[in-house]
Amino acid sequence: MSFALTSFRKDISRWRQDYMATLIWISIPLMIGGLITMLMGSGVTPHGILLVVDEDETFLSELVVSAYGARELGELISVEKTNFDDGLERVDAGEASALLVIPNGFSDAFFEFTPVTLTLRTNPSQTVLPGIISNVTEILLDAGFYAQELFGDEIRMYVSMTDDPGDAQVAAIAVAIQHKLQSVAPRLFPPVINIEIAEPPPGEPAPPLALLFMPGIILMAVMFSANGLASDYWRERSQGTLRRLVFAPAQLGQFVAGKALAAAAIIGLVGGLTLVLGFLYHGISWSKLPASLIWISASGVALFAWFAALQMLFSTQRAASVVSTAILFPLLMAGGSFFPMAVMPGWIAVIGRASPNGFVADRLTREIVESGAWLIDLTSWLIVAGAAVVGLGICTWRLRTGFARA
Amino acid sequence: MLKVKELSKNYGDLVAVDRISFSADKGTVFGLLGPNGAGKSTAINCISGLLKPTSGHASVAGHDVVTDGKAARRSLGVVPQELALYEDLPAIENLRYWGKAYGVRGQALEDRVAEVLEYIGLSDRARDLPKKFSGGMKRRLNFGCGIVHKPLVILLDEPTVGVDPQSRARLFDMVKAERDSGACILYTTHYMEEAERLCDSLAIIDHGKLIAQGSVDELRAKLGARDVLQLSGHFPIEATKQAIDALVQRGNRDLEFIAQEEDSITLTLSQASQHLPAIFDAVAGTGGSVTETSLRSPNLETLFLLLTGKELRE
Repeated sequence: MSFALTSFRKDISRWRQDYMATLIWISIPLMIGGLITMLMGSGVTPHGILLVVDEDETFLSELVVSAYGARELGELISVEKTNFDDGLERVDAGEASALLVIPNGFSDAFFEFTPVTLTLRTNPSQTVLPGIISNVTEILLDAGFYAQELFGDEIRMYVSMTDDPGDAQVAAIAVAIQHKLQSVAPRLFPPVINIEIAEPPPGEPAPPLALLFMPGIILMAVMFSANGLASDYWRERSQGTLRRLVFAPAQLGQFVAGKALAAAAIIGLVGGLTLVLGFLYHGISWSKLPASLIWISASGVALFAWFAALQMLFSTQRAASVVSTAILFPLLMAGGSFFPMAVMPGWIAVIGRASPNGFVADRLTREIVESGAWLIDLTSWLIVAGAAVVGLGICTWRLRTGFARA
Repeated sequence: MLKVKELSKNYGDLVAVDRISFSADKGTVFGLLGPNGAGKSTAINCISGLLKPTSGHASVAGHDVVTDGKAARRSLGVVPQELALYEDLPAIENLRYWGKAYGVRGQALEDRVAEVLEYIGLSDRARDLPKKFSGGMKRRLNFGCGIVHKPLVILLDEPTVGVDPQSRARLFDMVKAERDSGACILYTTHYMEEAERLCDSLAIIDHGKLIAQGSVDELRAKLGARDVLQLSGHFPIEATKQAIDALVQRGNRDLEFIAQEEDSITLTLSQASQHLPAIFDAVAGTGGSVTETSLRSPNLETLFLLLTGKELRE
């Protein structure tokens, strides 16, 4: 085993001379991950501004404006009153989601059953919030229509009172409304259609998409590292050192084991850095870090071993490089490094989870998303260990059967 | 120390090495000479265990390279023709690594690495990366990596190819020093002057076969004191041959015809310079003409020419 450690130290020493490659393995996934996380956000609720030009300034127009800021809608939309020119400028500049213009005479038109036009100008650079505002406006208009139909007389009576209405007048309006409600009650109560709302079973809230994307990004760094480190067998061959090793009594199996140890250390460092950044960004519990780190390091060795075995099957370094790169990127796509598997269509996600990196990313997702630590099952650990042993075995076999002698 | 018996290596129908046998003792340099493609490197690869011989045996320090390969390799140091170094690992780390690959450990390794660094003249560059070295320095380090474990037998496969004269002289000194320290050295080259300078005994190989073997003096004796005379020009083949035969009949008994083409003939004879006028007359009598004359004293190069009818570097 001592030569395995010698081989390990040699590779680490060589790796220290070429740390630029490692920076690339880390920076590309982080750059892609950062961009996509920025695009997706990290679970923060979107918030928009509705600018209102209230030219009517009546009780009814106030009622309409206040409806946009009520209850849950208020968490999505802030209502700001402004004048028309300022509102138009801000919407065009993309600073607000929509501009609502309530014209002078809106209230009178409403009570007198005459046509009136509300103008809603939306921000074309946004999609969700202007849509919500537009829907709310339509609902308000529908509500206004039904209110007109049912209680138009009573409301007109109330509004036409110049002084404070007396108790008798208020009681008369209330009685009139009560009578109307009683007259429509047989048609409204009980409702002809019963709607039963099925509440989902209580559970943990769905994790933000950016968090689900994190394992794919980490696996991208691991895959780049594994593929890059695997090409070192070809580098050693072109330097003549593999050939010289065959002259020596040292065992090739130990040489391969040393390379695997070095790969574990380097992939552990690359994966560890990306993990720590992800943990910091998403506020993940540090108790999950050891299992996550060991999982990606062990998986990285298995991926390294298989990339190396694959590359050693080819007769030229160029062919080996082209084929391994051609395999790398589809694997990254299928395994959730460009699109989280959670948002993939079902059948693609099944394929993704069956890919080597997708398998690893899937278990890592569970580890970092669910509560608790050390959640990856024993079978998964055994599969990774088995894959690493078989891959390293193939590497040793290829070295013995001619790769090192050429 | 190194014994090769009836060793053959075939690649399908191609016989790269054809039943060669030789042996070399402790404290000697054995040269394996031959032109490129003669089978020298294949023979070395069979002895070093890189290739499995088709038939025959080779043993290093009493260990068969096939049946007792690990023990044989432990006693063997190989300096391959191509550089075999980690260019991105400091020189001292290269030496340590290859020492450990041969099972040398601890203080013994550190002492030997320091000794080899001194020996190859790289003590002051020990921490530098070989990729920053000159070609000659890399060659010296390549040599150092092959001997860092103090092997009993050293295989040097054309170690001076592409080396500047200064580094070549240094390599010669290192080979001699290893020989003087008791190592048995198998040295392959296609430079006869190197073989004459370094080797105690040697074998000449061509087309996979050993065509001559012995000490340098023994091989020189095969030539006697004959010079090699090479004439260039135009020579009618049959007429020239008859004219030369006539010269032999007239008393030039050691004159020997080695090779002839339309534009050159090669002859050996003793004191050739004294016989040049008679040879020129004979050639002129056939209607031929001489445009250039080359006269060489007897050496291994001319022996190779004598044995094979062609130049060593062809």
